[in-house]
Amino acid sequence: MTARARLAVFLAAAAVIAAFFTAACTDLPPFGTDSHPYGERAVAAALDRRTANVVSAVNFDIRAFDTLGEESILFGTVLGATLLLRRARDERHRRAEADRVMPTTRLFGALLLPVTLVVGVYIVAHGQLSPGGGFQGGVVLATALHLAYVAADYRALKKLRPLAVLDVADSLAAASYSLIGLAGMIAGGAFLKNVLPLGTFNTVTSGGTVPVLNAAVGVEVACGLIALLAHFLDQAVELTDPDQQRYGDT
Amino acid sequence: MTEAALLPLAVAVPLLGAALLALAGRILPRTGCDILATGCAGAEVVCLVLLWTHSGGRLATADLGGWPARLGIVLAADPIGAGLALLVAVLVLAVVVYAWRYFDEPTGEHAGAFPALILLFEAGMAGFALTGDLFNAFVFFELMGAAAYALTGYHIEDPRPLHGALTFGIVTSFAAYCSLLGIGLLYARTGELNLARLGGQLAAHHTDVLTVAAFVLIATALLVKAAAVPFHFWLPDAHAVAPTPVCMLMSGAMVELGVYGIARVYWTVFSGPGGIPHQAFRTTFTALGLLTALLGALMCWQQRHLKRLLAFSTVSHVGLFLVSVALLTSDGVVGTAVYVAAHGLVKAALFALSGVLLDRFGSVDEHGLHGRGRELRTVGVLFLAGALALAGLPPFGTGLGKALGEDAAGHWQPWLPAVFVAASAVTGAAVLRAALRIFWGAGPVPRNRPGEEETTGEGEEPEIRSPRRTLPPTMTVVPAALLALAALVGALPDVAAALARGAAVFTDPAGYTAAVLTQPDAPPGPVPAADWTATGVLLGLLSAGIAVALAGTAVHREIPARRSRHPAARAVRALRRQHSGHLGDYLAWLALGVAVVCVAIAVQI
Repeated sequence: MTARARLAVFLAAAAVIAAFFTAACTDLPPFGTDSHPYGERAVAAALDRRTANVVSAVNFDIRAFDTLGEESILFGTVLGATLLLRRARDERHRRAEADRVMPTTRLFGALLLPVTLVVGVYIVAHGQLSPGGGFQGGVVLATALHLAYVAADYRALKKLRPLAVLDVADSLAAASYSLIGLAGMIAGGAFLKNVLPLGTFNTVTSGGTVPVLNAAVGVEVACGLIALLAHFLDQAVELTDPDQQRYGDT
Repeated sequence: MTEAALLPLAVAVPLLGAALLALAGRILPRTGCDILATGCAGAEVVCLVLLWTHSGGRLATADLGGWPARLGIVLAADPIGAGLALLVAVLVLAVVVYAWRYFDEPTGEHAGAFPALILLFEAGMAGFALTGDLFNAFVFFELMGAAAYALTGYHIEDPRPLHGALTFGIVTSFAAYCSLLGIGLLYARTGELNLARLGGQLAAHHTDVLTVAAFVLIATALLVKAAAVPFHFWLPDAHAVAPTPVCMLMSGAMVELGVYGIARVYWTVFSGPGGIPHQAFRTTFTALGLLTALLGALMCWQQRHLKRLLAFSTVSHVGLFLVSVALLTSDGVVGTAVYVAAHGLVKAALFALSGVLLDRFGSVDEHGLHGRGRELRTVGVLFLAGALALAGLPPFGTGLGKALGEDAAGHWQPWLPAVFVAASAVTGAAVLRAALRIFWGAGPVPRNRPGEEETTGEGEEPEIRSPRRTLPPTMTVVPAALLALAALVGALPDVAAALARGAAVFTDPAGYTAAVLTQPDAPPGPVPAADWTATGVLLGLLSAGIAVALAGTAVHREIPARRSRHPAARAVRALRRQHSGHLGDYLAWLALGVAVVCVAIAVQI
C-alpha cells in the first residue's frame, strides 16, 4: 500500500470503530448511581479478611491468580530482555568512564537515595492498608537505586547494583508467589487460599497472605526492573558496535 | 489428586519450572538445564494427563483462593480445554527434547533463559485454555505474548528476527488493547468477569450496540492470535524468522488457542439471550473462515521459503477450524478438536523437519535446495508422510478431523466440504512439492526470476554453530514420534470419543454455568458421533490424491522465465505485495477487519 492508501484505509476503519465505541458508551450505565455490583461484594469480602485496602484485597487475595499471571509477565519480560539484549558476537565491551557531576546534584542524590529507599519499603509494607503495594513500591525502590546514576555516574550505579544477586532474588521472588499458592492449597485446600492468621484490622500484620504476597511482588518488581534497566543501560553505555566505533559516533 | 489441585498445578508447574531454570542456569551446565527442562515439561504432561482422565468428560472446576465465581477466579476445564492444554504440554515436551542438541543457547549466567521462556510460554497457553474468567484469560494471553515476542526475536545477530518479533508484538498488543476495551464495556454493564456469570447477566439486557462492540473488540485479539484474514499478516513474518522450536509451538498450539478462545467466549457469554444471535455469528465467522482458508491456501502454494509455506498452511487450516466452530453444533466442535490436535502434531513435525534442513544447509529455500536432501532419506520420507497427513490422508487424525468437519459443515451448506477438500489438498500439495524437489530432486531445477518480489529463504543463520557434526538422533526421532501420535489420534477411537463427549459439554452453556456456579450437574446434550465414515475416508483419499496430482504436475512443469501478464497472475502478485512486512499496512488491515466485522454483525441483529 502507498502511504496515502494506508492512511485512508486506517482512518476510514478507525472512524467506523470510533462510531461503534461511542454508541456503545452511551449504552453504559450512568455515573453516580447506587448500583456497584462487584464493588459491594468485594468490599464485604475484603473487610471479612480484615484487609483495609480493598484494591489490595482484590489483587492479592480475591483475584490473586491474576496477579500471579501479571508478575509472571514481568518475570518473562525481564528474561526476554536478558535474551534479546545479550552481547552479540559483533559487539565489544567498553568500560564506562567516570563522569563529572555538579556538586549540588551529587548532594541531592546522596540525600534523596536513602529517603526514596525508605519510602519504597514503606509503600510495599503498607499495601494492605493504604494505596500502594508491591508493584508501586517495587518501582520506587528501583528508582531509588538509579538516583546513583543521576547523581554520580554509571560506575557508582554498578557498585550499588549486584546484578547476580538481583537476578537470583528476582527468580526466587517469582517462584515464591507460586509456592505461597501451593502452601495455601496444602493447608487450606484451594490454590492461593489466604491461610495465614488475619491479624487485627488496620494494622501492618493484618490481611493474612496479602502482605506476604505484596512483599514477594515488591522484591520481584524492584529486582526485575533494575535488571531490565541494567540490560538497556549496558547496551547504551558499555556495548559498542565495531562499525559505530569506526565512525566515532558512540 | 483432585481436580481442585490439578487445575492450578497445570499453571504452577511450568511457572515454577521457569523460575527454577532461570536460577539453575547460573550454575548447571547445559546438560543439567536440558534435564531440568525436560523434567518440568514431563511433569506438566503427567499433570494434564491426570486431569484429562480424572475429569471423565465432565467440566472440572477449581475455585482459586476458595472464592466462589461471583468474587474470584474459577478455573474450568472440559475435555476440549484440558485436551488443548495437553496438546500444548506434549508439544512443549517435544520441543524441549528436540532442542537438546540442536540449539545454540546462550551460555554463562543466562544459560537457562531459553527453556525458562519456553516454560513461561507453556504456562500462558495452559492458563488460557483452562481459565473460566474473561480477565484472567486476558492475563494469560499477555503472558503467552510476552514470552512469544522474545522467543521470536531470538537470533539477535540478524535484523530480520527483530523486525518480525516487533511486528508480531505491536500487532498483537494493539489487538490486546481492543480486547481490554471490550472487557471493560462488558464489566461496566454487568459487574462480572466470570464467563458463566457474564452470560447470565447479559440475559437481563437486550442485544444492542454495546453487546456488538464488546464482542467484536474481545474477538479482535483472538482473531489476531488465530491469524484469520485480514488479521493474519504477522504470522508468516514471525514464523519465517523465529527459531524452529518456537515455530513448532506457535503453529502447533498458540494459533489454535485463538480459535478456542473465540468459541469459548461465544458459547459461554454471547450465545444466550442478550448476546449475539447464532445466525449472525454463524454467517460472519463462516465468511471469515472461508476467506482465511482460501487465501491461506493460495499464498501457501506461492511460497518457496519453507517456513513461510508452512506458516500459510497454518493460516489456511485455521480458516477450516473457524468454519467448523462457526457452525455452532457439537459435530462441528468435535471435528475441530480432532483436527486441531492432529494438525498441531503434524505441523510441529514438519517444522522440526525443516529445522533439519536449516541445520544441514543453512537454507530453507525450496528452489535452492533442489535435490540437495537426497542423502537425508529418513527425513524425506517423514516429510512426505507429514505432507500427506496435512492433506488429510486416513488414518491420520487430520483426516478424521477433516471428515468430521466436512460432515458437520455439509449439513448446513452442501458445498462447504469442497472448501475443506480444496484447502487441505492445496496446502498438502505445496508441502509435497517442496519435499519432492528437495529430497528427491524431482523435475527441473526452478530458475530464479529476477525482479520477482519474494522471500527466498536463502542465507538463513543455522541454529547451531558446530559444522561437521552428525545429525542428532532427537532431530528425527521427535518428528517421527509426533507423526505417530497424529496417526494415533485418528486411529484410536477412544481419543475422538472422549473429544466428542467434550464437544457435548462445550456446546452446553447451561451445563457450564451449573458446573462453575457449583449447582448440581445437569447431564450434557447428545454426544456427537466421532467415527470414520466411508464418505470421510473417501474425501480424505480424494484430498490426498489431488495433493499428489498437483504436486506432481508442479514439479515437472517448467517455470516460465518471464512474469505472466495473465490477469490471475497479476491478481496473485497484487495479493502477495500486500504481505509487505510494513507494520503500518498490517495495522491498517487490522483496523479494517475490526470495522468490517462490527458492521457485519450489527446489520444482522
